[in-house]
Amino acid sequence: MNKMAVCISIETKKLFRSKIPLITMAVLTLIPFIGGFFMFILKDPSLSESLGFISAKAQLMGTADWPSYLSLLSQAIAIGGLFAFGFITSWIFGREYSDRTIRDLLALPVSRGIIVASKFIVMILWCLFLSAFVLILGLIVGNMVDIPGMSSALLMDGIKIYMICSLLTILLSTPVGFFASYGRGYLSPLGFIVITLILAQIVATTGYGEFFPWSIPAIIGIGIGNGEPIVSGISIAIVFLTSILGLVSTMLWWRYADQS
Amino acid sequence: MIEAISTVDLTKTYGDLRAVDNLNLSIGRGEIFGFLGLNGAGKTTTIRMLLGMITPTSGYCYLNGERINKSNMDIWNDVGYIVETPYSYPELTVRENLEIVRRLRGIEDRDCVDWIIDKLKLGEYESRRVEHLSLGNAQRLGIAKAIIHRPKILLLDEPTNGLDPAGIVEVRRLLMDLAENEGVTVLISSHKLDEISKIATNIGIIHEGRLIKEIDGGGLQDQLRKSLVLDGRNKLAMRSILFQAGYDMSAKDGDLRKGSHPLRVHDEGAVNAPEKIATLLVKAGHPPTLLKVEEEDLEMYFLRMIEEYEGIRNE
Repeated sequence: MNKMAVCISIETKKLFRSKIPLITMAVLTLIPFIGGFFMFILKDPSLSESLGFISAKAQLMGTADWPSYLSLLSQAIAIGGLFAFGFITSWIFGREYSDRTIRDLLALPVSRGIIVASKFIVMILWCLFLSAFVLILGLIVGNMVDIPGMSSALLMDGIKIYMICSLLTILLSTPVGFFASYGRGYLSPLGFIVITLILAQIVATTGYGEFFPWSIPAIIGIGIGNGEPIVSGISIAIVFLTSILGLVSTMLWWRYADQS
Repeated sequence: MIEAISTVDLTKTYGDLRAVDNLNLSIGRGEIFGFLGLNGAGKTTTIRMLLGMITPTSGYCYLNGERINKSNMDIWNDVGYIVETPYSYPELTVRENLEIVRRLRGIEDRDCVDWIIDKLKLGEYESRRVEHLSLGNAQRLGIAKAIIHRPKILLLDEPTNGLDPAGIVEVRRLLMDLAENEGVTVLISSHKLDEISKIATNIGIIHEGRLIKEIDGGGLQDQLRKSLVLDGRNKLAMRSILFQAGYDMSAKDGDLRKGSHPLRVHDEGAVNAPEKIATLLVKAGHPPTLLKVEEEDLEMYFLRMIEEYEGIRNE
């Protein structure tokens, strides 16, 4: 078995022996249930009137139909994912510093590039699984709530946009790996995640969201049912470039920085 | 013959601080080299440079004659190491942690995990999560990870930290066995000379990043200084009498006034003939209440070496 496969299997083992998969799954499970609950409220005007504040929140989601519901799921994975996927990444990298196991990794006869790559691969695979899990659960919940307006074309469009949002959000986690390595622990990456989350909201409201990497996935999520993409290819390129920058900077940090 | 470990003018600076300063080490195969120094002397920084964890500011490190280069990871195939307190993945068991090292090192022989568990007496704990291990057993696991691949070079930074006396003896025996029977070269750092002196074939004392003294481990006892220890009712007067008689003493006036410090005469003549000193003091009306020849212990020797170096440096 080559070193990359060995490293991936070891990283997978480390991840699944921790509580991180359970925590992140539990947190992301809330998304479809909250979305389904809002749709349930929007479907019933009399219930909506009696719920006051919650109803007002639900009204922001639009109407009780599948385009609104799928758009809600996509935006939620884009925003919630920034936190959840970033949290996973910060754990995968930061734990080596906080548990001080980094020293054992650095002088092993294994390329540091392979170690970093295997960590990112495991992170991406687990986040993709979580995204698919939320989508499937969302479809089940949507069916249970009996949301109107479903068609196979809409379903395919919704799934496609949802997966694009998820994938772009996952890609945006690579800079978190760099901050976890640079900050030698969890604090810096978590701070970075919070700042990007806040900035993503602020920049999006100013109308420049399509040029700010962390705003882009959520903006794409709005497009479900509109028939055409809301953001341009430049936005997608910005996200990819940000991701590559995060990946390369993490690799360079592991390769060249003094690890004391 | 190519040395197992060597450094050439190795230097590491952090701003104005010279953590390691033109260090030249040369450690032969099968040697146990005790790397001795106070905290912050530069031991760990040197070991980290030997492991490629940090890059020297200038100078070079060689392992088995190969210059250390972060892009040549194969250098570390034959190297085992402990850098300060060893840490393992807390949520994994002892066996799982060892399996990880076995796989990352590309060792095909799966029995090596059983071998090392047996060798380090970790059988009782092999299924226990590392987070539930005692400090001593976690240290054993660290040593197990360092030698699971039967390395030719061992770089150990304070490996007996946290071990109980029985554990320390066990590790000492293990290292001596590895060096004598398998030709393993060991660089072991410590700030305890008495511990190092029990296993090291050679000892290097590092201070402020510089190698200030190299001692043949077997000849260490010959280096220990003897002195004549004296006490009496008026130590200042005794000191003055001995000084006028030309004897070399270390006690300072302030220390003598406090009363707790005895007088120490390092003069070889005094050590070899203490009765002459006694006679001299009795005749002067200051008979000693204590008179004994004492050999400095290893810690005192270590501190003396540092003091002498600082004295030379300050001149």
